[in-house]
Amino acid sequence: MEVKTCLTWLEEKSLQNYFGGKQFSLLYKASVHGFSNSALLQRCSTQGPTLTVMYNKCFVFGTYMEQSYQEKKRDFSTVFVLQNAKISECKIGPDEPIALLSADPVFGIPYSNFSVQLSDKKVILQKDINKKLGLLENSTISIEECEVFRCEDLLDQRKIEGATVLRDSLLSALRTYKPFEDLVPQSRILLLGPFGAGKSSFFNSVKSVFQGHVTQQALVGSEAAGISKKYRTYWIKDKNCGKFLPFVLCDSLGLSEKDGLCMDDIPNILKGHIADRYQFESMKPITSNHPNYIHSPNLKDRIHCVAFVFDANSIEGLSHEMVAKIKTIQRELIKHGTMHVVLLTHVDSMDLIIRGDLMDIYSCVPVKLKLQEVHKKLGFALSDILVVSNYVSEWELDPVKDVLILSALQQMLWTADDYLEDQPLKETC
Amino acid sequence: MAETTILTWAAERILRKLLGNASLTLLYKSGANKHGLEGMVQRCSLQGSTVTVLDIPNYIFGFFMLQNFPKSTENSQSSYTSSWFLSKKSNVTEEKTLFLNIILKIINNCLQFYISDKLIACIDTNKSRMYLYDSLKEKFAPISETLYYKELEIFRVEGIKKDPQYIRKLSTVTYHKEKLLAELRAYKTYTDSVSEIHILLLGPVGSGKSSFFNSVKSVFQGHTTRQAIVGSSYNSITEQYRIYSVKDGKSGKYLPFMVCDTMGLDERDGEGLCTDDIPHILKGCVPDRYQFNPREPIACKHLSPVTSSSLNRIHCVAYVLDINSVDKLSTQMISKLKQIHKEVLNCGVAHVALLTKVNNCDEVLESNFLNMTSYTTSQNQVMTVNKMLNIPVRNILMIGNSASKKELDPIKDVLILTALRQMLRNADDFLEDLPLEETASK
Repeated sequence: MEVKTCLTWLEEKSLQNYFGGKQFSLLYKASVHGFSNSALLQRCSTQGPTLTVMYNKCFVFGTYMEQSYQEKKRDFSTVFVLQNAKISECKIGPDEPIALLSADPVFGIPYSNFSVQLSDKKVILQKDINKKLGLLENSTISIEECEVFRCEDLLDQRKIEGATVLRDSLLSALRTYKPFEDLVPQSRILLLGPFGAGKSSFFNSVKSVFQGHVTQQALVGSEAAGISKKYRTYWIKDKNCGKFLPFVLCDSLGLSEKDGLCMDDIPNILKGHIADRYQFESMKPITSNHPNYIHSPNLKDRIHCVAFVFDANSIEGLSHEMVAKIKTIQRELIKHGTMHVVLLTHVDSMDLIIRGDLMDIYSCVPVKLKLQEVHKKLGFALSDILVVSNYVSEWELDPVKDVLILSALQQMLWTADDYLEDQPLKETC
Repeated sequence: MAETTILTWAAERILRKLLGNASLTLLYKSGANKHGLEGMVQRCSLQGSTVTVLDIPNYIFGFFMLQNFPKSTENSQSSYTSSWFLSKKSNVTEEKTLFLNIILKIINNCLQFYISDKLIACIDTNKSRMYLYDSLKEKFAPISETLYYKELEIFRVEGIKKDPQYIRKLSTVTYHKEKLLAELRAYKTYTDSVSEIHILLLGPVGSGKSSFFNSVKSVFQGHTTRQAIVGSSYNSITEQYRIYSVKDGKSGKYLPFMVCDTMGLDERDGEGLCTDDIPHILKGCVPDRYQFNPREPIACKHLSPVTSSSLNRIHCVAYVLDINSVDKLSTQMISKLKQIHKEVLNCGVAHVALLTKVNNCDEVLESNFLNMTSYTTSQNQVMTVNKMLNIPVRNILMIGNSASKKELDPIKDVLILTALRQMLRNADDFLEDLPLEETASK
């Protein structure tokens, strides 16, 4: 039999977040290792804080203890019940951790007001604890399974150091990045998406990482109409040597069902006809006699990669009109041969996702489901969907967020390389 | 204080990758346990597969054991499927693995590992030392035969297939991938008069033609590429004829083959690639970026002059079919495929079938990665294609689903490279079979 928890992802995650952003390592499983105190203690002693979980037909319950089993120190522990996605708790003790296990002459364990009798597959509770936990007045609960987890911080110093090393490695790679065969001095990435998706925030976040502290060059706001009405081509200086970095992020007016970016302006942006700071009008595309119109753009003026930007929490709410608009833009990109990726922002505001999850974000079940949703609703390939958490209210950088931001940027630059490689030879002469 | 691993996060990722992206749960640390071997056995028995890691300066060294850790320290002896590995902490590309069937004995506080009756390794838990002999000593030459480790940690390995053949593949896949890459980089066409092999991808809308090119390019680049635009759409995303070249890495040279991508086939008349266009494509008369029109075959004025047609001649056709749709093709689609196949046969062009979106990629090839498994060749979908188009089973190739790839998967990569190699071999056979005068005129 496999040593694997009975907890669903949702149950495990709820408990992990409830007890302070923990990570659980399953050490003991009664159905595999035996319903006995000795089997449990062999595996769970001197392991640090533990969570002991028991399964009844109707609910999951157990205790969280800061002290290791076999530790002699008396301390309080937390009894919890997880039922219908809700957690109720009750403090018990102080007692030695081993008091949790049923009175056993061999181990010299005294009776406690919450005790587990593994060999009998039952738990005995005092009435007052029953009441506090919201359980029916029943002093004995039969259990089908018992699991013990070691509890560690999900985001510990080791992982933060790992993220820092990776962040520095990415920064170095991106600073020294050269567009494909130096065909252009900088790769140009266009950010396209609905108002409030986080386009300007993503640029600010990228710049912040290279600056070394949170910065805000592109104005952001929460107004319904958004802030960006001008076309902006943001260049970023490398703080180290003062040169401009080898990429440009282009920010446009947001997409909207009514106002927003004029669909006829998109080919003009892609081809490089629109100059920095051009003031968009929702109902009127740029014309060739406009003073800001660039008549003969070169390869270096074009958009080399498009990043569709969506707030991860607003995918469900996209209207039919918006979906249709995005699909129209996709067809336009195909016509122009412009490659694209998708950027989901605000991933850390998704249900149950916390900072520590960002380290392995693509493994989180809600994120996987979200990517599937984007794939089905908008037709993007799963491998083209990237996930970030922008800097919104912070003052200082976080290497965990930096890794996501820089990894996404790296994917965009690789995609721009694909675009440059795809150009007909005559275009590059 | 909770028990935590001494592995850096980067080292842990390397280890997980070596084990096919499995999850790891720390069960035992030698430094934290005062009971030595007894404590090790208590914590690690009945936990399923385990990996034991030794902390040695600059290296990650250890071994994976598929079967349960021993239950007892008293004259214990058990057989194991194992995979031994050595990886430099600073350079992920330097990696050695060795698949072994071993016997583990616990004698006098020592873990002793045998192949047949020959001792190959010994861990003395009292002295924190490991000794390597014979094949292990040869394989892992960079580290000395007597290792002093600062820490020994044992993890439970979760999410790994409990199959000795899979473990063997996992242990050797990197070696085979590198070997295939080297072979393809060194590839030269059969005859000097043909400098590049042209591979034509033909198949229904959404079968994965453009994805196949992206996958090939990704393997050579070492990261995900998106040059051919893909997406889910009722109509073909690809509407132009594209002749793609593949570079050997960003700064490498171009490889001597081209992947030619067409508009997808559609079962409806007047939709998808026009079957009348096929002969022109095969002869190499269609230029790169030609815009197909489903309702109108290529007009003569759009064709390249005959004198230069040999440059883009197709040498191998790959029928690209979604393995999950093979048994559900409509009679109209089958009819179209047969019609096209007749044209291909008339032109005498080499051909293969490429089944895409295969789920169990690790079961397609034998443990030594040389041939397809009998399981593969006996699959219903393979026999369906075999009967439908009369393509020999050995020319029906398989690759995985590229859709969910965030990082490259070496087993999927081997399938892609193997498929590409078979296409090139078939093209060589085609060139060899050409009459001498035709070869001379190319």
